[in-house]
Amino acid sequence: MSKGPQERHLLKPGRYYLQGSEACVEGALMAGCRVFAGYPITPASEAMEHAARRFPQVGGRFIQMEDEIGSASVLIGASWGGAKAMTATSSPGFSLMQEAISIGIISETPMVIVDIQRPGPGQGYITASQEDVMQARWGHHGEGSIIALAPASVQEMFDLTIQAFNLSEKWRTPVLVMAEEPVAHLRELLRVGARADIGIINRSKPQDLGIQPDDYLPWGHDVVAPMANWGEGYSVNFVGLVHKEDGNVTDWSSEVNCNCTKRLLSKIEGNAREIAQIETRFVEGSRNFVISYGSVSRTAIEAVMEAREQNGIDLGYVRLKTLWPFPEENLRAAITSADTIFIPEMNFGMMRHPIVEALGDRCRNFVSIPSLGILHSPELILSKIVEVT
Amino acid sequence: MLKYLKEEGLMGPRLPLLLCPGCGHGQVLNYTLHAVDRIIKEDKMAKEKLLFISGVGCSSRLTSHYLNFDSGWTIHGRALAVATGALLANPEFRVVVFSGDGDMASIGGNHFIHACRRNMDLTIVCMNNGLYGMTGGQQAPTSPRDMITTTTPYGNPEEAFDLCKMAEVAGANFVARWTTAHPHQVVKTIVKGIRKKGTAFIEILSQCPVHRKANPADMLETFKKMTVPWAKAKEEDKDKIPIGEFCDHDKPDWNASYEKILDQYKS
Amino acid sequence: MPKLWIDERYCKGCLICVEVCPTSAIASSDRINARGYVIPVEKDMSICKVCGLCELMCPDFAIAIEETDFK
Repeated sequence: MSKGPQERHLLKPGRYYLQGSEACVEGALMAGCRVFAGYPITPASEAMEHAARRFPQVGGRFIQMEDEIGSASVLIGASWGGAKAMTATSSPGFSLMQEAISIGIISETPMVIVDIQRPGPGQGYITASQEDVMQARWGHHGEGSIIALAPASVQEMFDLTIQAFNLSEKWRTPVLVMAEEPVAHLRELLRVGARADIGIINRSKPQDLGIQPDDYLPWGHDVVAPMANWGEGYSVNFVGLVHKEDGNVTDWSSEVNCNCTKRLLSKIEGNAREIAQIETRFVEGSRNFVISYGSVSRTAIEAVMEAREQNGIDLGYVRLKTLWPFPEENLRAAITSADTIFIPEMNFGMMRHPIVEALGDRCRNFVSIPSLGILHSPELILSKIVEVT
Repeated sequence: MLKYLKEEGLMGPRLPLLLCPGCGHGQVLNYTLHAVDRIIKEDKMAKEKLLFISGVGCSSRLTSHYLNFDSGWTIHGRALAVATGALLANPEFRVVVFSGDGDMASIGGNHFIHACRRNMDLTIVCMNNGLYGMTGGQQAPTSPRDMITTTTPYGNPEEAFDLCKMAEVAGANFVARWTTAHPHQVVKTIVKGIRKKGTAFIEILSQCPVHRKANPADMLETFKKMTVPWAKAKEEDKDKIPIGEFCDHDKPDWNASYEKILDQYKS
Repeated sequence: MPKLWIDERYCKGCLICVEVCPTSAIASSDRINARGYVIPVEKDMSICKVCGLCELMCPDFAIAIEETDFK
């Protein structure tokens, strides 16, 4: 992919006032993404429009595909062709992309999909929602795991998108950025640091490890296989069937099936400690907690601070930056015992399930605070907190 | 052509192909490798530039593990979208897409139309046997009217899709149709297609002796009888299928058009 | 006289080669391979014109004339 003079068109260090969707695309470019394929859908079209303008400026290529299935399929081809690739869509499009995500998982293809969630099911509406968070983990058919991040600000739309690319390259997996309409449409200050300070991770290559084409195992050598791409002389064969480490697809015994999918699961779930992140505030000594993620965290923190200052409730604040793999260990380290855990979500209680699984032995009262189609106000969260505590 | 197939033992036995005895798709692979051999020798093309992408089905199985080239055995119907992605990552690839009539025209119909419309720089080798072979012989959009298949047990009530007309109307630079009974024409046309910039759509009628319950050599004879080179078609040939090269344009391919946008920012 | 090459392991006995040979230099036979397929054999290679159709039209890369560059 082109390098050189066009890199000067990347954002220079400084302060910018951008929309979340735009910050997300800028983060992708900074991470080295040079292929964008998309399809118009509210509320994700701004990301695509920004990409249409910016990608050629830095030597990348943008294409508007005929549908979301095509967009997701482009990511497979572009990634195996050697480029970092992304798409941005919303919930109905996200449903269409599941088959491609599934084959991306089994083929261990680095790719980034941004889902700017909107209410569902069906056409739903075009406002705020967090109704895809379970689909993120379980929407693709078959076993295997996936990484999903939940940005909560324009700065995080930039930073976490860079992190998404780094994670996808490091772990050779599709990575989802689960945004919502509020954080995508919000305009806020974005601080861009020096290029040299932004860590970029690229996929490990067999050439760099001295592995010759005759000895190369496309899904072997390590927990995360070094990835030979098309055009590099490795005669590498992309497959979606269960396979052995050398790519052999002629044996579909239960053993091969099991080993192939177990590898995918353990690669991510087994490294959850390294991958998953949370943010905590006021957790020391608190008896009650609010666990939130994404845009809802913006109003949740307001509610928490007011509850602490005005109402004297000892309330801790936990924000899931990573939805999947679920940050169970991080949560258990932060919360050793609790009276009540409040879970405000823009759904009827989806992340509540893994939270209860993780902390059920330490807390007996889990209270969901749903708000469908519209971002929680601090008052909505606070009133529930006051009511219960 | 054996050198273009993977050595035995690396990913399972290289041969025999898992296709049924007498399957036309094996012949199409043979013709394609002859064409590729000519391209590599005459044009001094580096083997690394060639990329074979397929979807899912009997024809798509050709890339599952046989080829000694970079290849992709991808999602049913989405081979063209994956190939588009590869070209976005690296416009230097010479991409050959193996697809079947069901994979290309049914589930992949949308991508077929748009890949041709965009004139992506690909060579599409579409093996048309008029049915879904891998899954047991169901009807396909290319099954002729009245044909009995497992999902048209009373005879097909639908008309067959003319893929070449669709490719031409959608905007492909080069469109041609032959059959497995026309080996030299197929080889020449594939050579031309790979050399061609823009979309080269080459439909090859290919026999499925198992689901059509016929002898493969007889089916090859039938192919010769039921087709006619379109330029030589007379009144009495109106029920025959036209074969030959239908169009040959030199419109810019997608990457050539996009280069103009990239040029603005190159200096 | 041109030499015929047949790999019995890969032949599936479709006999397309026998049908398309313009001089009928090869023919079907009683030979059955390990997979149960009928293998074509030489009938009279002195009339083989090395046209290459058998090698070109074989679906399984199982037959060729040794004088050509088929490997």
